Amino acid sequence: MITKKNIILILLFLLAMGSYYIHPGEAQDPAVSIESAQPIAAATPGAEEAPPAPAVAPPPPNVTFSIDKTSVVNGGAVTVKGQGVSGKPIYLEVWSERQVRSSFFDSKPDKDGKIPYRLYLTQAMPASYKIYATKDKKDVFDAFKAKGGGWSYSDALKEMGADVAYSAPSKIAIDAYQSTILASIIGSRGEKLATLDDKETRRRAMQLTKARFRGIGNLISPSIEQNADGSFIAKVNIPQGAAPGKYFIVAYADKALRSQPAVVENNINFPTMYLANAGTSLNLVWPFLLTLAIGVFGVLMGAGGGFLLNPLLISLWPLPHTVVAGTVMPTVAFSQASGIYNYSKIKFINWKLGVTMGIATLAGGFIGPKLTELITLDQYKFVFGWILIVLAALMFWQTTPGYLKKNKKEQAIMSEFKKRAEAAAKAK
Amino acid sequence: MIVEFWGQEFKVNIIFGCIGAFLVSILASMFGFGGGPFMVPLMTVGLGLPMYLVVGSSLIAIFFNTVMGSLRHYQFGNFDMTFFLIMFPAAILGGYIAPQIAKRISPLMVKRVAVVGLMLLALNLLGLY
Repeated sequence: MITKKNIILILLFLLAMGSYYIHPGEAQDPAVSIESAQPIAAATPGAEEAPPAPAVAPPPPNVTFSIDKTSVVNGGAVTVKGQGVSGKPIYLEVWSERQVRSSFFDSKPDKDGKIPYRLYLTQAMPASYKIYATKDKKDVFDAFKAKGGGWSYSDALKEMGADVAYSAPSKIAIDAYQSTILASIIGSRGEKLATLDDKETRRRAMQLTKARFRGIGNLISPSIEQNADGSFIAKVNIPQGAAPGKYFIVAYADKALRSQPAVVENNINFPTMYLANAGTSLNLVWPFLLTLAIGVFGVLMGAGGGFLLNPLLISLWPLPHTVVAGTVMPTVAFSQASGIYNYSKIKFINWKLGVTMGIATLAGGFIGPKLTELITLDQYKFVFGWILIVLAALMFWQTTPGYLKKNKKEQAIMSEFKKRAEAAAKAK
Repeated sequence: MIVEFWGQEFKVNIIFGCIGAFLVSILASMFGFGGGPFMVPLMTVGLGLPMYLVVGSSLIAIFFNTVMGSLRHYQFGNFDMTFFLIMFPAAILGGYIAPQIAKRISPLMVKRVAVVGLMLLALNLLGLY
C-alpha cells in the first residue's frame, strides 16, 4: 500500500531528478545572451556616443538626415528629413537596442529533397526592426504582401533593393542545433552544430527576423518620399507596444554609403511595462482584467483558464506563443495545487491512480515545451483551433440529457461520500 | 490495476490510461494549458471510472505535467516574470470570485455559453472569419 507520505517523497525525488537531468545539454543559454550582446553594438560603431541633438551631421558620408524629436512616449512617429544621393533610392534601417529571442525550425526540403530538421536560435534579435524604402517600391511590396504567410524576406529585400540596408541583425550570434526524432523524444534540442560562418549567419538571420516579425508589414514600409535631387522625408513610426529604450536610425544609399546613426529614445510609463522575454510593452491593466475574467469563467465552466487565455493573449497582443505557453502554465499549476489540497483534506483522491498516470504525464510534460519552439505561431493557432473544437464538443456532450442524467446520479453518490469524508475528517 | 475508493473497487486498464495521459500531457505542455477537461473524459469514458473518483485524482495526474512543463518552459526561456506577476494574482482572485458567482447561476447555462465561445474562438484561430 502506497501511503501519501511516500508519494510526496517520490514526487519530490522525480522533480529533483527531472531538474537535474535538464542541466547538462541546455545550460549554455544564459551565456549565449551575454556574448551575443556584442555583434549589434559592433555593427553600429559610435552609436552610444551619438549626440542627443536632433541633427546628426557627420563629415565623411554624404548621406545625412535630421530627426524632429529624440524621444517618444509609448511609441510615436518621428519625422526624418535628409539628403541622399541623386539617382540612388534611399533606405532607412530602424532597430531597437533591446534584444529578444527568436527561433526558426528548418524543416523544408533542400535542393536534394533532404529535410534538414535544424533549429536556429538567437538571443540577440532586435526587439523591433524595420526597413523603410521609397514609395515607388510599393508595387513590389504589395506583390509580396499578397503572398500571405509564405513570403520570403530575403527575396523581398532583394527585389526592393533593400538588402543594402539589412545590417543590424545580419551579424547576430546564432546557435544551430541538429534535431533528430530521438532527440525530440527525450526533449533535447539536439546536437549543437559548429558556429555559422558570416554568409550563413546573414542568411539564417533573415529567416530568424521573419520568424520573429512574421508579416511583411512589420518589417518593410515603402513610405519614404524622395525627390529627384536625392533629398527625402519619411515618418518613422515606433509603434505602441514597442520595446522601450534606444532606437537607432541609419540611412543607406548603398552598402558603403550610409549615414551616422541617429538615436530616438522610447519611454514607457506605468502601467505600461516591458516584457523582456516577449519583447513587447503592454499596458498591464488589460492582461490583468482578461486573466481575472477568464479565471472566473474558467472555474465556472470547469476548464482551466489556459484554454481561453492562451489563444486570446496571442490574438490580442503581439506576444510570442512560446512565452504565452511558458508563462500561463505555472499560473495554472497553483490553482491545480489548491484543488489537490482541498480534495486531499477530505481524502477524495486516489493517490495510486493519480500518481501512476502522473508519471506518464511527467514524460509528456518533458517533451511538450520543446515542441513549442519548433512550431510557428500560425501552426500554434491552427492546432489550438482544433483543440478548442474538440473541447467544445466535450462541453456540448456534457450538456446533453443522457450525460446530465448519469451525472445527477453520480453527483448524489459524490455528495454522500463527501458528507462521510467530512464527518471522518472532523472525527479525527 | 485495482483502484480502491471509499470501499469500492474498480478495475482499470492502466496501460491505456497512461498512454492517453501521456498524449494529453504532450499537448497540454506544448500549448500551455492545464488539460483537466481532457483528462477527466479519459478517466471517465476511457477507463470507466465514476466522476466522483476522477475529479480529485485527475488533478494529481495533470499536476505532474504542469510542474514538469513549467520547469521545461522556464529552462527554454519561455517564462516572463513580469507577465507572470500580472496574471498570477488575477488568476488567484478569479478563483475566489468564481464560487461566489457559481451559487447564483446554472452550470448548464455556463457550459452552453462556453460551447459557443469556444467555437467562435476556434474558428477565429483557424482563420475562418
